[in-house]
Order: sequence, then C-alpha cells, then structure tokens
Amino acid sequence: MSDIYIAKSNFRGVIERLMGRYRVYAPVKNGSSHDFAPLEDPSEADLGFRNSRLSPKGIFHPQAERMFDCTLARDDPQAGILKEAQKSFPPQVVLGIRPCDAKAFRLDDANFDTDSIKDPWWVRRREVTTLIGLACDSPCSTCFCTSMGGGPYDTEGLDVLLLDAGDGYAAQVLTERGKNTLEVTSGWSSVPSAVSALTLEKKTAAEQRIGHAFDPASLAQMEMIELFKSPIWEDVQFACINCGACTFLCPTCWCFDIQDEVCADKGERLRLWDSCMFPLFTLHGSGHNPRSLKTQRVRQRFMHKLKYYLDKYHSGPACVGCGRCVQACPVNIDIRQVGRQMVSSGCSCPA
Amino acid sequence: MQTYTEKIRQAAKRLLSEKRVDAVIGFRKGTVVFMNEPFLAKIPEQADQLVWDGNCGINLANYLPKMTGNIAIAAKGCDSRSIVIHLLENQIKREQLYILGIPCSGMIDKRRIQDGMNGREILKAEDTGQNVRIYGSDFEQTLERADFLQENCVICTHKNPVIYDELLGEPVEENQIDRYEDIRRIESMLPEEKRLYFNDLIKPCIRCYACRNACPACFCPTCFVDESKPQWVGKTIDPTDTFTFHFLRAFHLAGRCTDCGACERACPVGIKVRLFTKKLEKEVKELYGYEAGVLQDQQPPLDTYRPEDPEPFLG
Amino acid sequence: MSDWEPKIIAFLCNWCSYGAADLAGVSRFQYPANIRIIRVPCSGRINPKFILASLRHGADGVWVSGCHPGDCHYIEGNLYARRKFALLKSQLEYTGIVEPGRLHFSWISSAEGTKFAETARHVVDSVKQVGPAQHFIKMQAQVA
Repeated sequence: MSDIYIAKSNFRGVIERLMGRYRVYAPVKNGSSHDFAPLEDPSEADLGFRNSRLSPKGIFHPQAERMFDCTLARDDPQAGILKEAQKSFPPQVVLGIRPCDAKAFRLDDANFDTDSIKDPWWVRRREVTTLIGLACDSPCSTCFCTSMGGGPYDTEGLDVLLLDAGDGYAAQVLTERGKNTLEVTSGWSSVPSAVSALTLEKKTAAEQRIGHAFDPASLAQMEMIELFKSPIWEDVQFACINCGACTFLCPTCWCFDIQDEVCADKGERLRLWDSCMFPLFTLHGSGHNPRSLKTQRVRQRFMHKLKYYLDKYHSGPACVGCGRCVQACPVNIDIRQVGRQMVSSGCSCPA
Repeated sequence: MQTYTEKIRQAAKRLLSEKRVDAVIGFRKGTVVFMNEPFLAKIPEQADQLVWDGNCGINLANYLPKMTGNIAIAAKGCDSRSIVIHLLENQIKREQLYILGIPCSGMIDKRRIQDGMNGREILKAEDTGQNVRIYGSDFEQTLERADFLQENCVICTHKNPVIYDELLGEPVEENQIDRYEDIRRIESMLPEEKRLYFNDLIKPCIRCYACRNACPACFCPTCFVDESKPQWVGKTIDPTDTFTFHFLRAFHLAGRCTDCGACERACPVGIKVRLFTKKLEKEVKELYGYEAGVLQDQQPPLDTYRPEDPEPFLG
Repeated sequence: MSDWEPKIIAFLCNWCSYGAADLAGVSRFQYPANIRIIRVPCSGRINPKFILASLRHGADGVWVSGCHPGDCHYIEGNLYARRKFALLKSQLEYTGIVEPGRLHFSWISSAEGTKFAETARHVVDSVKQVGPAQHFIKMQAQVA
C-alpha cells in the first residue's frame, strides 16, 4: 500500500467525489462540539476538530434500531411471525475518525463478529464502511490512548490514515478497501520528502503530549478475585450517580436491550443501548438482581473494561483512552484514576 | 471561597473525631478542570481531601435518600432546600443530619467558559472568588467570574441555606430577580413555534438519564420510564418518547425542584432541561404561592389543596 | 378535511360525570358521537400519564370531567385533582404538545344531563376547530 499526498485546497474535491459514491460521515460542528453526521455538503466537514462528543459507534450500532417486525392483523396468516426488518446498507465512508475510535471498533468486533456469533446488522455495516482516519495532533489532556496500547498516529482498524501536514494531507493507504475507496477520488500525488519529515516530527510530538495513565499490563498479572474484593471500590463508587453517560459515550461499550413495541396492528422488536450502570440491567425475571447495589455495578464496569476483557482476549483492555467518559462524567469519576487505584491495590511496597 | 475549604475541613475533622457523625459528604478535587468529585469522608484523616470552590455545582443532597447512620453534608442554598424536600418526603430523618450551610455566590459554568475558547483546551483554572484565571498550553486569561456563572446561579434568589446546623460563612445578599423572563418569552410564542422550539431543544438527547440521576428529587425506586406494565414511554430516542420523558419528569418535579442546575450540569450533550422545570416552578409560585423547600413545615403543593384554589383550566 | 371526525377520549368520574352521561343518554339528549368514554372512580385518579397516553395514541382531544369541588364522592379527590389539572394543562400548552382547545376539563354532577350534552358539543366543536392531531403521536418508533 502506498502513501499519497494532496493539497488541502484540493481536498474538497475528494469529499465531493466520495459523496458521489458513498454516504460520507464526517465531524460536523454542533454548537461548540462536534458529532459525526452524514454530510449534505462537503463544507460541513470540519477536520479541525479534536474529537467528537459522542463516539462514532452509532454508525455501526445505532442508539435504537429495528431488528424485526411483524403484523398483528388478526386475519393475516403471517400474524405474529417476526421477520427481519427491511433496511438498506448503502456503502459509507467515515472521514476523519480518530485512531482511538477505529481501534475501538476492532475491540467491539470481538463481541459482534466472532466465529460462532455474527451480529447481522453490525457485520453488514462494517462490511460496507471504509474508515478514513485522521491522525491526532492536538490530543486533549483527557486522552490516554498510548497507555491503552494505541497512539495518536496508530493505524489499527483503519483503511486509510490521513496525516495533517499543514498545507496538505498525507494519506497512508492501509487496506485494499481503502485503496478501492480512494480510487473514486483524484488529485493525489506522491508524498514530498519535506512532508514525510514533518509528519514524523508531529507524530513524536503528539505521542509525547499524551499523559501516562496507568499500565494495564500490571492488571493482567493481578489475580482477578483479589481485584474484585479490593476495598478501593467502596471509595470509587460513592460519587457515581448511575446514569448512562459514560457507557453511552464510550466507543467500546456495546451492551444493548431488546424491547418489543406494538402500535395498532404492527409489532416490532427493537434494539437499543443499555447500560450496566442502570439498576434494571441485571434484573432477572424472577425479581432477583445480582447487581442491585451501586458498588457492584461500578466495580463491574471498571473490572469489565480493565480486567475481564484483558483476561479473556489477552490483547489489551476494552478501553482505547479516548477520554470521553472522563469529560462527560457529571461527578468526575476518572477511569485513569480508577486504573491507578486498581494497579496499586495489589501493591504491597511502601508509599 | 478558599476559606470554605478550610472551614469544611475543620468542621469535618471535628465532627468525625468526636464521632458526632459517621461520614461527611463533600467534594474532593477533581482530575479535570472545572470539576470536583463528590466524596464521602469517613475518618478524620480523610477530611483533608475536602475542598469547596466554584466547581461544586452538583447537588450533594442527591446522595441522601435512604442513607443510614449520622451524616454531615455540605449544602449551599439550593442544596439545603433539596434537603428540606427530602425531610418532608421522609427520605431521611433530621436527627441523622448535620448540615454545614454554605452561603453561595454561584457556581462556574464550565460549558460557558469552554464555548468561548474556540477549540483551545483549558488545562488549569483558579477560582479566586472575584475572577477565574484560566491557563492553556499557550495562553492565559482572567475572566470576570460573574460573567460565567451557571444559568440557575445568575437568577438565584436563595443563595443562603434555609436549614443548617452550622453556617460556615457570612450570609450573602439575596437578589430580587425576575426568574422567569425566558419562560415568558416562550409563553408568548405561537403553539407551532413552541412545539418546534422544544423539539429542537431535546433533539440531542441520548436518554442517558444523567439529568434524572443527578437530581436529588428523583429517587423513585422504579422510575416511570422503567415501568413495563403498562409501558408509558419507550426507551428509544424516538422523538415522541424522548419528549414524554422530559415532560413527565419535569411534571414529577412540580413544587419539588429547587433549580440547583445539577441536571443541566450533568447532561453530556448540554440540553437546557431547566426550561421544562422552571415553567412549573413559575406556575406553582403564581397559583399556590409555594416555593420548593423554603419552609420546613409547608406541605408540598400537590400533596394538599385549598378550597379557594384557582381553576384556570376550566372552559 | 370535511370528512374528518375527531376522536376524543373522555375520562369521566364514576359517581358524577359518568352518571351525567347516563342521564343524557336516558333523556335522549343529542350530542356528537365523537367521545369515547373511560370511566374512572374519581377525577383524582387521573394521572398525567393517561392524558399523555391518549395523545400519543392519536386522540385529537381529551376531556376530563368530575364532580363539583366540594361534592366529591371521596370528599377531596377532585380538590387534589384541581392542582394537577392546572399544572398539567399549563405545561402541555407551554411545550406546544397541545394547542389551546384540545384539552378540556369540567365539573358535571350526575343530575346535569343537559350540561353534559352541552359540554360534549362544546368540546367536539372546539377540537374540530383546532384540527386533527398531527404531532406527538407515537406510531412506529422512529429508529434506524
């Protein structure tokens, strides 16, 4: 795969060409923050953003979607038989996605796309989507991707990675899909050597700006049951108000609820985001709730992200260090702090 | 405001060592600019972690319902009124509480400050009581504190706690302010305009329930959104369902909301949910002369009636 | 549009207003057939959720009627209800969910069959003037 370059003055043409063939999602300014939204005009795309407020996971896993529907008309022989809801999966491009979010989708794949289980809607959307990422040059103070095995110029999970080189973008074409997608665009040339040097400089600078959070590798070595029983959770859990802000904004949180809704003579089965923070999340039909206490739920969230996933997949925590939860939590529960507390809970050295 | 930090620490240390209380609810310094984390100090040594400044906008009374044991709590004006509501509604007993009253000059609205930054990130902030000094990686600025207060603080008419065991500072002057100017502006719109205005307002809602969970007055064991027999409101982001949620939650707060602003502060997408609750606050005040949580022996408005109650809904 | 007949849900308290509806029927007073009655024990039973649910299901109008204040069969049910109704109507109109003229309240005793028929006519006329309800109806969930 090659590296190519285009001047920023020609980039609008790239977006236009992409829009001609794909539904293009890009960061769009929304008040003083940005959200990924389908473009109606190339000028809406704002690649000068830091990161979107909501993660782009909604592109693959919408907050609410219809899975099945059925008719309930009494005299219809098909009444009550659920059929997969008709929907289209047009080819799409997510332009400007950050390396942390792209990596997150790979982590989500571990849940939705396995050898034994394939979620049809997730898989279809992943198949038709090209991820054109944008490397991070101004990480926020809440970012900690480097601690989580990622980085501001990381390519994992991306089809193309754009590097901002001042007057233009250098693009690393990483996959066959990325190559095919860019073929509908034009105006690319080879990368000038000055640009290569510049982007290397910027990569180092960006990586250095990201603060160190904690080392998840230490957590891998700790006994799960010792972490589970640790007294730190009493302290961590107090402030939590059990809303769903962290889970809904998190790109690696995928939990969902399935609800049936009926209106007149139509029934449908919907999937919607759910949160392990909600008390109802683990409520059994019998009335028993294994996580009825706030401490249990708070502990579960951090253990899942930073320990269980680590143990199960041996490939790093279920957190990409995007920092959205840190910014959004109404009571400033900071996963970096919790991670540090988890690591030091097993430490028996003085100070 | 720095002195409040010292006073809270002293009071907490004293109360905990004398075993007057089992725990003190306050704030400890946050890890992110403009944020503090609610904190439960259980031993005197932990009292040194307590802080108080203009980033204490979350209503600590939220943690009180059904707590056991003796608890001290730092409470500004609006928080103290929420405590009164809890007492009236039997969520906690007065004997359990030791209220550290804090006359408040308003909390900082971090969104309002960040909005004016044009994408530049603020890395550090100091609240000197008069102004707010902010520092970025390549800039430094001093802001007039009064220009960047939370919206509810700008129009606050109860800055001093209405109930306390110990007042940690001199009472501040209360303002006579027209609280309902924005509500009246909306009231004067045409029905269609109103509908579009509110639909736009809640469009970003992702149904995370941060507003509901940050609210001290929302403590129902089963919230109406979780009721399933029958299901009154769906859980998706369908606009009608989302509207129903905000509408009905505000209605459940009629005469109970103290406009502490925790809901707006908590919302991750910045929805101005107080536009729902303030209308009911205005109606309750105009129709029944009642202000939530101000008097400790006044029955909540929907829990009582008077023979001469007005009937503007007839006809 | 001229063919459209509004659907109006009427919550009537069992002891007074429902009795009034019975009396109107027995006395053969004419009133439009647009109202669909739901009998409740007392106007104090009315929960804002009922009115919201009626609107969400597509009701063009909602009418709530109970005993006169002071005459409630349960002594004070409608006295509590008054405060609820005042706040609810005001909030519904403020948020634009309900245009003025869709939501009606009345106090009708079981002897007032005439008043029942008159009020029914008034409610139907008023809702006809506002037009069919088009917004705030939950049909299929608007989801992906």
